[in-house]
Amino acid sequence: MRKNRTILPEMYLVLLLILLYLPIIVVVVYSFNDSKLFQWSGFTLDWYRELLDNKNIQQAFWNSIELAVISSVMAATLGTVGAVAMAGRHFKAKGLIENVATIPIMIPEIILGMAYLAFFTLLKIPFGMITLVLAHTTFCVPYIYINVKARLAGLDPSIGEAALDLGASRRRMFFDITLPMIAPAIASGTMLAFAMSMDDVVISFFATGAETNTLPLQIYSMLKMGVTPEINAICTLMLGAVFLIVALSRLVRLRRRTG
Amino acid sequence: MRQSVRAKRSKGKNGFSPAVLPLILWTAVFVAIPLIYILGLSFLKRASTWGVELSFTLESYQQILDPQYLKVYGESLKMAFLTTLGTLALGYPFAYFTAKLKPKNRSVVLLMVMVPFWTNSLVRIYGWMILLRTQGVVNGLLIALGIIDTPLKLLYNFGAVLVGMIYALLPFMILAVYNSVEKLDWSLVEASRDLGASRWKAFWTVTVPMTLPGIMAGCVLVFVPSIGLFFISDLLGGGKTILLGNLIRNELLTARNWPMGAALSMVMMVMSLLILWLYRRVTGAKDMEGLV
Amino acid sequence: MKLLKKAVALLAAASMLALTFAGCSGGGTSGEGDQVLNIFTWADYFPDDILEEFTEQTGIKVNYSTFESNEEMLMKLESTEGGDYDIVLASDYIIDIARKENLIDKLDTSKIPNFGNINPAFQSKFYDETNEYTVPYAAGIPLIIYNPDMVDIEINGFEDLWNPALADSIVLMDDARNVIGLTLKSMGESMNTTDEAILEQAKEKLFALKPNIRALDYSTPYNKILDGEVSVGYMFTSQVITALNENPNLQVVYPEEGLGFGIDSCFVPVNAPHKDNAHTFLNFILDGERSARISEQTMYINCNSAATPYITNQALVIPDEAIESAEFIQDVGDATQLYTDIWTEFKNL
Repeated sequence: MRKNRTILPEMYLVLLLILLYLPIIVVVVYSFNDSKLFQWSGFTLDWYRELLDNKNIQQAFWNSIELAVISSVMAATLGTVGAVAMAGRHFKAKGLIENVATIPIMIPEIILGMAYLAFFTLLKIPFGMITLVLAHTTFCVPYIYINVKARLAGLDPSIGEAALDLGASRRRMFFDITLPMIAPAIASGTMLAFAMSMDDVVISFFATGAETNTLPLQIYSMLKMGVTPEINAICTLMLGAVFLIVALSRLVRLRRRTG
Repeated sequence: MRQSVRAKRSKGKNGFSPAVLPLILWTAVFVAIPLIYILGLSFLKRASTWGVELSFTLESYQQILDPQYLKVYGESLKMAFLTTLGTLALGYPFAYFTAKLKPKNRSVVLLMVMVPFWTNSLVRIYGWMILLRTQGVVNGLLIALGIIDTPLKLLYNFGAVLVGMIYALLPFMILAVYNSVEKLDWSLVEASRDLGASRWKAFWTVTVPMTLPGIMAGCVLVFVPSIGLFFISDLLGGGKTILLGNLIRNELLTARNWPMGAALSMVMMVMSLLILWLYRRVTGAKDMEGLV
Repeated sequence: MKLLKKAVALLAAASMLALTFAGCSGGGTSGEGDQVLNIFTWADYFPDDILEEFTEQTGIKVNYSTFESNEEMLMKLESTEGGDYDIVLASDYIIDIARKENLIDKLDTSKIPNFGNINPAFQSKFYDETNEYTVPYAAGIPLIIYNPDMVDIEINGFEDLWNPALADSIVLMDDARNVIGLTLKSMGESMNTTDEAILEQAKEKLFALKPNIRALDYSTPYNKILDGEVSVGYMFTSQVITALNENPNLQVVYPEEGLGFGIDSCFVPVNAPHKDNAHTFLNFILDGERSARISEQTMYINCNSAATPYITNQALVIPDEAIESAEFIQDVGDATQLYTDIWTEFKNL
C-alpha cells in the first residue's frame, strides 16, 4: 500500500456531515427561542409546554405512529410472503409482477397520490385511516420485497435443500430455516418502510380525510401558516428519541459482541 | 447455475406458487388498477363543473404540448439534472472516503448519514429557510467575514430550491455509491498504479467504471423523486418556481382539471420509467436490488 | 397450498387488525355516533379556545381539517360529494360555485336561535341572496402594506407596485383572482371582467409585474414583511393587522383605484354526516360575546351585531368611502379557465 496520508478526506467527511446537520441544529436551537419570529431573544421551554397542551399535534403524532406500524407490518407480511414465494421460481408473469409491485417507489409519489384520490373516490371508500393504511401499505411493500429478495438471492440454497431431503415439510422449512435467515432483511426493510411512512407528505396529502391528520401533514399546514416553534420542539424530541434508540442498539450490539 | 440447482431441488414445483397470490392481488388492486384508471382519466373530457365526462378526447394531450407547459418540463428536467449532478459531486467523494475509513468509523459515519432520514423532512427544509433568509445565519456569517456589505436575497429563487433538493436527496446518493465502492476490488486499483498509472488516472480508468452501478443507482434514486417533490419548491421557492409536481398539484387543486392532471402524471410517469429503462440498459441490472 | 392458506390467513389477520385500529380512531364513521364535528377551513381560523369551549359545553369532539386555498376546498368537497365535513368556512365566490353545484345544504334556522344576531349589512350577498345557506364569519379587505425604511417611493395605489424601484421586493397572496383582480383594478377595470380582450391586456400588464415579485404566499405574507424578506405586501386585513401589531412603523395603503372586499362564511355541506352538531356549532359562534372574542383573535371585521358591545379593540378603522368603492370577487363562470391560464403562465415566467 502506498501510504500518503493526508487528513483531507476526513476533513471533507466532517465538513459535509456538519452541512447535513446544520439545518437540524438550527431547528433544535430555535425550539428554545423565546421569540416566535426569527430573531433570537433568549432561552425558553415554553414551546415544549405548549406542545404538551396542543392536542392536535399529539393526535397527529399518534395517528402517524399507528399508521406507520400497521402499514409497515402489513407490508412486511405481503412483501415477505411474496418474495419467498417468488424466489427461484420462473413463470411468465414474474417479471411483470415484480415491476408493478415495486413501481410505487420508482415513480414520483404525486402520481400515486393523485391515483388514490381518484380511485378511492370512485370506489366511495371514505377518506381517513383506512385509505391511508391502504396507500401506505402499498408504497411500503417494495422496501420489504426488495430487501428480502436480495437476502434470499444471497442464501445458500443447499441448507434448505438438506432440510427438505431430511423430510421437513415446505412449511417447516419456511418457518425453521428460511424465516430466521431472512429475518434481518425483513427487519431492515420494515424499519425503512416505517420511516418512509412516518415522513410521507405527498401521498397522505391526497389520501386522507376529514377525521385523520398525520404528523407530516400537520407540520406542513403549520409551516405554511407561519413560524410555529412547537414544530421545532416536537422535532427536537423525535430526533432525541432516534438518537437514543440508535445509541441503545449500538450499546446492545457492543455488549453482545464483547460478552 | 443456481437456478439449475434449485430446479433439481424443488422437484418440478418450479412454476407458479399460489403463495404469490396475496402480493399479486394487492398489487393489482392498489397499484395497477389505480394507475390504469388515471391513464383512462387522461383521455376523458373535462366536465363543465367538476369531474369528467365519459367521452374520449385527446384534448389533454394536445394541451400538454402547449409552450407554457413545455417550459415547465424544461425547468423540471433542469432542476432534476442539476440536483443529480450536485448530489453526485458532493456524495461520491463522501461515499468514497467513507469506504476507505476503518470499519468501526465507517459504520458511525453511515449511521450519521441515516439518522436525518428519521426526522421529518419538512422540518429539515424549514431549517434551510432559517439559514437562508435575509437576516439569517448565512448572511450574518458572510457579513461578519466582511465578504458582503448588504444581505443577499438567498431565499425564494431557483438556487434555494436547488439547495433544498440536493440536501433532501443527498443521502440516497451517498448510500447507493457507498454500496458500490465498498465492494470494489482495491487490488485492481493497486495493479493499475503498479503499472504506472497516476493516482488520478487510476481513479478515472478503474475506480469510476467499477463503481458505475452505484453511481447509476444513485442517479436514478435522486433524479426520479426530484421531478415530483412539490413541497420543496413550495417552501423554498416562495411559490414562484413551478416544477412538474407543482403543476400537477395546481391542475388538481386549483384548476380542478382532472384529465389534465392525469395526462401530466402520465408524462411524469413516462419520464421516470424511461430513466429506469435506461438504467437497466446501461447497467444490465435485471431488477432494482441495488436501489434500496 | 398450505403456504397459501397461511399467507391468506396472515394477510386477513393483518387487514382485520388494521381495520379495527382504523375503526377505533376513525371516530364518526364507526359507532361513536353523533359526538363529532368535522370542520374544514384554513389553519388557525377558528381560535383554539373557542373550539375547546365548544367541546367542553356540548361534549362534541371537533376534528379540524385544513386547506390552503378555496379551490382546494372545493376539490375535496366535490370528490366527497358534499360529505365528510360538517362545517366548511370559505370565501364568498367559491361558496357561490359550491351552491350552484348543489354541494351546500339549506340551513335550518329554527336550530340557530342566534341567527338573528347577524349584521344584515353582511347578508343577502350574491352568493346567498336569500340567506338560506350561509352564516357570515368574517369580512376582510386586502390592503397594501409597506416598510417605509426599505421603500424610497411613495405608494398610493396598485399602480405603484409596478415601479422599478420595488424590484424583487413584493409579496402577494398566492391567489389567481386577487392578483389578477388588482391588475384589473390598476387598469380601471372590474375585478370580475369576463372580457377576453381586457384579460389579455391584464395578462401583459401582470407579466410586467413579475420582476418585482419576491414571493407568493397565501397564508403568512406578514412574516415575510416582518423578517425583512420583502418591503411591500398586498395581503388580507387580518394579516395586515398582525404585521402592524408586531411592527407599528409599517404603512398601510388603501389603494386609490378602489378596494376588493370579501366575506368568509360558514356553510353545511349537503351530505354532512353530523348536521345537528353543525347547527349547534353555528349557534354557538353566533353568540355575541364569543363572536367578539373570535374577531379579536382573527382580527377580521366582525359580522355580528350582537358582538358590537363586546368589541374593545378597534385596531383597524377602514374609511367609509373606501368600503363604498369596494368590489366583491365573484364567480366568473366559464372565464374561470382564462383566469387560471393567466395565473399558470404568470407563475411560469
